[in-house]
Amino acid sequence: MGEEEAAGMSTAVAAKHPYVEALLKGCTELPHSPLSWLDGRRAAALERANALTIPTTREEEWRFTDITPLTRIPFRPGRSAPRLTERDIARFETPEAAIRLTFVDGVFSPELSATAGLPYGVLVKNLAAGLETHCVPVEPHLARHAAFERDVFAALNTCYLRDGALVIIARNQDCPTPVHLLFVAAQKEIASYPRCLVIAEAGSRCTLIEDYVALGEDAYFSDPVTEIVLGDGARVTHVKLQREARSAFHIATCAVALGKDAEYASHTVTLGARISRYNLSVVQQGEGARARIDGLALVSGRQLADTHSFMDHARPAGKCVQLHKCIIGDAAHAVFNGRIVVRPGAQLTDAAQESRNLLLSGTAHVDTKPQLEIFADDVRCSHGATVGQLEQEQMFYLRSRGLSEARAHNLLIYAFGAEIIDRIPVPSLVAQLGRTVLEQAQTAA
Amino acid sequence: MIAREAKVLLEVRGLQVAVAGVEIVKGIDLVVRAGEIHAIMGPNGSGKSTFAKALAGHPAYVVTGGGVLFEGRNLFELAPEERARAGLFLGFQYPVEVPGVGNSAFLRLAYNTVQATRGKDELDPLEFDDFVRGKMKLLDMDPGFLDRSVNDGFSGGEKKRNEILQMALLEPRLAILDETDSGLDIDALRVVASGVNRLFTPDNAMVLVTHYQRLLNYIVPDYVHVMEGGRIIKTGDKALALELESRGYDWVMEEYRARVAA
Amino acid sequence: MSAVLEHLVNQPYKHGFVTPVEADTAPKGLNEDVIRLISGKKKEPQWLLEFRLKAYRHWLTMQQPHWANVRHAEIDFQDIIYYSAPIPKKKLASMDEVDPELLRTFEKLGVPMHERAQLAGVAVDVIFDSVSVATTYKQKLAEVGILFCSMSEAVRDHPDLVLRHLGTVVPYTDNFYAALNSAVFTDGSFCFIPRGVKCPMELSTYFRINTQESGQFERTLIVAEEGASVSYLEGCTAPKFDTNQLHAAVVELIALDDAEIKYSTVQNWYAGDEQGVGGVYNFVTKRGLCKGASSRISWTQVETGSAITWKYPSCVLLGDNSSGEFYSVALTNNRQQADTGTKMVHIGRNTRSRIISKGISAGRSNNSYRGLVRIGPKAENARNYSQCDSMLIGSHSGANTFPYIQVANHTARVEHEATTSKIGEDQLFYFAQRGIGAEEAVSMIINGFCRDVFQQLPMEFAVEATKLLGLKLEGSVG
Repeated sequence: MGEEEAAGMSTAVAAKHPYVEALLKGCTELPHSPLSWLDGRRAAALERANALTIPTTREEEWRFTDITPLTRIPFRPGRSAPRLTERDIARFETPEAAIRLTFVDGVFSPELSATAGLPYGVLVKNLAAGLETHCVPVEPHLARHAAFERDVFAALNTCYLRDGALVIIARNQDCPTPVHLLFVAAQKEIASYPRCLVIAEAGSRCTLIEDYVALGEDAYFSDPVTEIVLGDGARVTHVKLQREARSAFHIATCAVALGKDAEYASHTVTLGARISRYNLSVVQQGEGARARIDGLALVSGRQLADTHSFMDHARPAGKCVQLHKCIIGDAAHAVFNGRIVVRPGAQLTDAAQESRNLLLSGTAHVDTKPQLEIFADDVRCSHGATVGQLEQEQMFYLRSRGLSEARAHNLLIYAFGAEIIDRIPVPSLVAQLGRTVLEQAQTAA
Repeated sequence: MIAREAKVLLEVRGLQVAVAGVEIVKGIDLVVRAGEIHAIMGPNGSGKSTFAKALAGHPAYVVTGGGVLFEGRNLFELAPEERARAGLFLGFQYPVEVPGVGNSAFLRLAYNTVQATRGKDELDPLEFDDFVRGKMKLLDMDPGFLDRSVNDGFSGGEKKRNEILQMALLEPRLAILDETDSGLDIDALRVVASGVNRLFTPDNAMVLVTHYQRLLNYIVPDYVHVMEGGRIIKTGDKALALELESRGYDWVMEEYRARVAA
Repeated sequence: MSAVLEHLVNQPYKHGFVTPVEADTAPKGLNEDVIRLISGKKKEPQWLLEFRLKAYRHWLTMQQPHWANVRHAEIDFQDIIYYSAPIPKKKLASMDEVDPELLRTFEKLGVPMHERAQLAGVAVDVIFDSVSVATTYKQKLAEVGILFCSMSEAVRDHPDLVLRHLGTVVPYTDNFYAALNSAVFTDGSFCFIPRGVKCPMELSTYFRINTQESGQFERTLIVAEEGASVSYLEGCTAPKFDTNQLHAAVVELIALDDAEIKYSTVQNWYAGDEQGVGGVYNFVTKRGLCKGASSRISWTQVETGSAITWKYPSCVLLGDNSSGEFYSVALTNNRQQADTGTKMVHIGRNTRSRIISKGISAGRSNNSYRGLVRIGPKAENARNYSQCDSMLIGSHSGANTFPYIQVANHTARVEHEATTSKIGEDQLFYFAQRGIGAEEAVSMIINGFCRDVFQQLPMEFAVEATKLLGLKLEGSVG
C-alpha cells in the first residue's frame, strides 16, 4: 500500500456514489496527524470510500436491510458539540463504572468524563491524547483489525479517524471497575464516527460498556468502529448497548482478535434506531481461545435491527457459544446472519450457535440465517434457529396459576429477554434493561 | 495360587511402540497366563495406554521393535478386528461416541461376528435381545441403553459400563481394561468391578491399566507392574500397589535408576 | 400461430446447415435456428416452439449464476451440441466385454442379474424382454387412466394437458438454467394421474430399466389431480458414464386438492476422477406446487454423483393445509462439489414443511446445504422443522450449512437444527476392537446417519443406496 509515504490526506474526495461523497465532505479538512502511518491509513480508507457505494438489497450481505431511508437525509459531520452538564447525562450513568469517557456527537467531552484514580496498568484516554503518549502499542492495531476494503461504513469511519476512546490494560492487570464509553447524540442530522481501540494485553482482564444514547428524538447517524485485541489469556467482557433515538441510524462495526486461550464475552443489546446494523467479527488467532456472543434485539414500530456476526475459528481448540434473540413487535423487522467458519486445521473446535426469535404481531417479521462452514473433521459444531410466538402451553400454564392473560404474556416476553440480560455482569444494567423489556412487552400486549 | 503350568495367553518380548514418530514404549517384557490378573500402574505419560492400544492394533501406534505372541500366534500379523475375534478385548479409556448407530444393533453385530469366528450360532434380534438383557441385569444397567446410539450422550460411568457389557458379551480370552476406573464414582466402581470379577475364569486373563490402586481394592491382582518411561521398572504383588498408594512413585523410580546405574 | 412464424418454421433451412432436413445432429452452439430445428425434428405444435423461443430470448438477457458455493470454469454454451437424434449404442455381445469396474460395482450393489446386462448395454433380448415388460406396465396403468409416457409423446398425444401445465411451476424466467432448459429440452417424462386414482405401483422399476437415455436437458412434468397419488423414482444406483458435461433438467410437479406426489431420486452420474477431471455438472431445477388444499409433495434424494451438483427441489405450499417434505443425502468425495437443499415457500394457511438433510463430505470435496424457509404474511399457523446434519470424513473436506429463514407471520413456528459428526480412525478402531471390519463399520455408521432419509425410499432402493454410499467412500476412510 505504501501508506508510510502517503503523508496526509493526499487523496481527494472523488466518490463513485453521490451520497458517500456528501458524507465525505469535510473529512479532508481534518488536520494532518503528526503520525504519518495514521494519515496513511486514513488516506487508504478514503481511497476505498471513494470506490465503494452505498449497499443495496441486491447484495447478499444487505439482502434484508434496505438503507435507502438513510440516504434521504444529508448528514454532516459534527465539528463542535453543545455543552452538556452532568445532569443531561445522569440517566445514562452506570454506578458500577467509575471510569467513563463521554463523547457528544462524536466529540470527546473531558468535563463529562471520569478517569481519575485509574489503577496501575490501566490506561483509559481519548484516542487523540492517547496517540501522543502511546503511539507504539497503538500503531500495530489501530485500523488494522476492522477491515474497510469492502465496507463503506468502516471506510467512512476510518476516513474520519482522529479521536475516540483508547483503553489499554497492561499485562496481567485487572481493571477493577467496568469502563463506560458513553456516546451521546445531541444534535439532529449529525453524522458521528466514534472510534474505540481496546488492547487487553496478555493475562489482563476488563469489562467494557460501549453505550450509544440520545438526548432527543431527531434523526442522526452513528457510524462507530471498535477494535478489541486480546492478548494470550486475556479476558474481556464487552457490553454493547444500542439505545439510540428511534429515528436515528446506527451502523456499527466491531472487530475482535483473540490470542491464545483468550476469553471474550460479548453482550449486545439493541433497542433503538430506525435502522441499525451491527457487524461483529471475532477472529480466533490463538489456540484454545473462547468466545461467548450474546445478542438481544428488542424492536417495535417500524424499526429494523440487523446483526451480522462472524466467528472465525482460524486456530485449533477454540470454543464459541452464541445465542442471539430477537423480540419483534408491531411492523418491526429483525435480521440475523451468524456465520461460523472452522478453517482447515482448526481441529477440536467446539461451536454452538442459536438464533431464537419471538414475533409479537401479525406484521412483524424476521429473516435469520445461521451459517456453518466447516473445513476440519474433528470438531463439534451445531446451530439452531427458531421462530415463533409465545408458547400457548406456557401461557396456559401461567393462566391456570391465576395470572391474567396480559401478565402471563408480559412475563413470558420478559423471561425470553432475561436469558440474555441476566448474563450481563453489571447489576444496574441488568435492572435497567429488564425494565425496558417489560415496558416493551406491555406496549406490545 | 497360580498354576505355573497354566497356558500362556500373552507373551510380550522387547516391545517398542512409537506414536507420531516419538517412541513411547521402549521395551516391555510381559507374560500373562490363563487365570491371572495383572495390574499395570504408573504415572501419567509412562506409556501404559500406549501399550494397551498397541496390543489392540490402533493404527496410530506403530510397533518399532519386539514381538507379541497371543495364544502362540504373532499378534502383529492380525488386523485389529482379527485380534478382537481371536479373543483380545480392549476396554477403552475414552470410548468414542457413534451417533446414529443403535447400541443394540452394534452389540449384536459385534457379538455375532465373534460368535461366527468361534463357529458358534449367531443370534437373531429377538434372541439377542433376551440374551443382552440378561447380561445387563448382571451389570445393573438400564435396558434403555439398548435404544440409544453407541455411547452417544452417555455419562462417563455409562460409557464404562457399556464397555464391560461388551466384554461380557464377547467373552474374551484376554481383556485389557484401560483406566476403566477413571471417572467412576464409588458405586459405579463397585458395579464395574463386580462385573469384571464375575467374568474372570481360570481360562481367561485380565490386564488392568490403572493410575490409582482403588480399583485393586475390588479386583485383586496376582501381579502389579510399575511402568515408567516406556518400561516396566518393577513387578510385585498386591502389596506393591498399596505401597505405591502410600509412598507414591518416586521411590520406585529412584530404586530403578540406582539399579540401572549399578 | 402468426403467419410470419408459420412461414419461418415451414420454409426450408437457409442458414447454418448443409443438409438441414436430414441432419441428425445440430452443429455446436445455440441460436434460434437450432431451436427451430429441435422443435421441427420433434414435430412440435407452434405454441411449444413459441415457448422455446421466448425462453431462449429471455435466456440471452440472463447471467450465469455465481452465488452457489461451487467453483468451475466458465461454461461455453456455444460449445455444446443441443440436438442429437438418439443413436442406438453399440450393443456388446456378452458380459465379457463389459468394463470390469462396472461389473464390480453391480456386484457390490447387488443389482439383479438381469438388470446388470441391461444397464451395461449388453444385448439382453434373451434374458429380459424390456419391450414386453414396458407394455405390460403401460396397459396396467392405462386401465386406471394414468398417462405415463415420454414428454415428446405427451406433446403429440395430450397437447392440451402439456400446454395447460408446462412452465406453470418453473416459468422459463425462473433462472438461467431453467430458461436454457425451456429453450432446448429434448425429452423427459410426463405423468398424469387423474382424479381419485392411486397409482398402483412405484413408477420406479419400469423407469430404472427404460429411460436411461433421456438426455442432458430433461423435462419432466407430473400432475396429480384431486385425490390422486403417485410415487415416482428417477435415476439409478449404477454409475452412468455420461460424456455430457452439462445437465440442466427441469422437473415440475403439480398436486391438486388432497393429491400426493412422492418423487425420489438416486443420482450417481459420473463424478470425475480423483483429481477432479471430468464429471457432470448437474444444474437442476425441481419444484413442486401444492396447488390444492391438503395436497402433499415429498422429495427424497440421494445425491452421490456428478462433479458439481446444484439443485434445490422445492415446494410451493399454496393450498391451505398442504405440506412439503424434503429428505436428502448428499455425498461428496475426491473433488466433488455439491450445493444442494430445498426451498419451502409457505403461502397458504396451516401449511407444513419438513426438511431432513444429511451431508457427507470426504476427500477434498465441498458439501453445502442451502435451504430457504419462507413464511408469507398470509400463511397462518405455518410450521417448519429442519434438521441438517453434516458428517466429515478426513480433514480436507468441507461441510457448510446455509439456512435462510424468512418469517412474516407471527403465528408461524419454524425450527432449524444442525450438527456435525465424523467417521475417524478412532471410530473405526473402536468397531474393529469389537470384531467389526472397516467396511461394515462404515456402512453401519453411514446407515445410522442417513436412516431418516433412507426410510423414505422404496425398500429395495434403500438397501442399494446404503451399499452405494459405502462403495463411494471406499478407500477414503481409515
